[in-house]
Amino acid sequence: MADDKDVLRDVWFGRIPTCFTLNQDEVTEREAEPYYLLLPRVSYLTLVTDKVKKHFLKVMKAEDVEEMWFEYEGTPLKWHYPIGVLFDLHASNTVLPWSITVHFKNFPDRDLLHCPSSSIVEAHFMSSIKEADALKHKSQVVNDMQKKDHKQLYRELGLNWYRSADKFDQFWAMNRKLMEYSTEDGGFRYIPFRIYQTMSDRPFIQKLFRPVSPDGNVHTLGDLLKEMDPTALPNDGVVFNIFPPVCLRRSFMSLTLSLCFSLLSSLFRRVSRPR
Amino acid sequence: MSSSVLDEQNFHHCCQLLLQQSEQLKDGWSWEAVQSGLAAPVDADSIEGDIDDKEGEDEGACTVSEGSSQVLQYEYHIVYSCSYCTPVLYFRAFTLEGKSLSLEEVWSSVHPNFRLRLQNSPLNTITLQEHPLLGQPFFMIHPCRTEQFMRPVLQAAQDQHRPVNYVLSWLSVVGPMVGLDVPLKYSTQLHPTASLSSTKPD
Repeated sequence: MADDKDVLRDVWFGRIPTCFTLNQDEVTEREAEPYYLLLPRVSYLTLVTDKVKKHFLKVMKAEDVEEMWFEYEGTPLKWHYPIGVLFDLHASNTVLPWSITVHFKNFPDRDLLHCPSSSIVEAHFMSSIKEADALKHKSQVVNDMQKKDHKQLYRELGLNWYRSADKFDQFWAMNRKLMEYSTEDGGFRYIPFRIYQTMSDRPFIQKLFRPVSPDGNVHTLGDLLKEMDPTALPNDGVVFNIFPPVCLRRSFMSLTLSLCFSLLSSLFRRVSRPR
Repeated sequence: MSSSVLDEQNFHHCCQLLLQQSEQLKDGWSWEAVQSGLAAPVDADSIEGDIDDKEGEDEGACTVSEGSSQVLQYEYHIVYSCSYCTPVLYFRAFTLEGKSLSLEEVWSSVHPNFRLRLQNSPLNTITLQEHPLLGQPFFMIHPCRTEQFMRPVLQAAQDQHRPVNYVLSWLSVVGPMVGLDVPLKYSTQLHPTASLSSTKPD
């Protein structure tokens, strides 16, 4: 478990340098300077951009400000995806810092979920935890928790955990409950995961996948990918950029699953090996 | 053994039955097959009605705002959730000008009898989510309590040795909460002729 934890720390503390620029069509009282921020990979845009909002509101009138939303090269950014996934999906080939455009008008409600308050983020987050728990333990863990535990779970896992090093250990203590195996079932029922692909009609692939094969062999990440999208896995030299970094040990996979809010957001895209 | 969950194959089967009945009743459900085999029946009907806030006028009417009168268009999707092994109802609502309803407006259109029950546990209610196949924002009724309320329905059907369409029974519970009426004719036609096989609770 020791080296698993090291990888986890790397993911936990992973940051993306980002430059926020105000959309030039916004009405401002004076010129708006861009705002720079290091975004944590494992958080959500709406949780970490209060400072961005404050910065731009300084140059705008209140009546010109509606719900804030973000866009990268014309694509509205889905706040309910982890930041690392958004970056890997949309911008992994670009030069850093990642340039995001900030909007305060014309919210694209056919593309983006509204996020008027942090309680919406909390609800979304807890919904993911519940769904992952349904897959892993048939919802036993989350249902056995009391409401106050749900609140604490969100606090530890959601709100502040990315902010400081000591929070990592607190997170892990809280998260242990979600990762513990039920001895009667002998492990997770199914692995909670999602695969995001750059070229796809569907937002993501999410299907049932058992951690162990019928003959008792432990499944690896490679097995999972093969089953979920065999067409994306040619045999010759393919590199996967997976968030978090790939490792084929199942225990690692389980741990990283837990890190990504117990519902793994795993991105892969094909990068052909140079000949 | 009576199972209060639904596997994907059974889901397909129940939907096919529902579709056949829908065709006979001209109720507008259709089946959309999405690449990779997961599919969702879509209600292409628009649910229209006069909206006003007078008390007692309840026939599918929705109260949106004081003194206003508008026609709303709803779109309903039934999607199978493999995480919860149940169907899930997704829907969205627009004015005729194409403006989406907000979550607050949707809540105010839920019948007061249902509203209290739903609002008691925020996680088990109506939220805005990304449609798992289309990627667009839809309202969703959270599925985590479905197994609970379906259990007595399936048990009763089993005890009385009669067939039950899981999806239809489920829809008749959750649909009306959000403006989707399931006509009684669906269940009066449930007893199939010899050419159809019905869903048996197992």
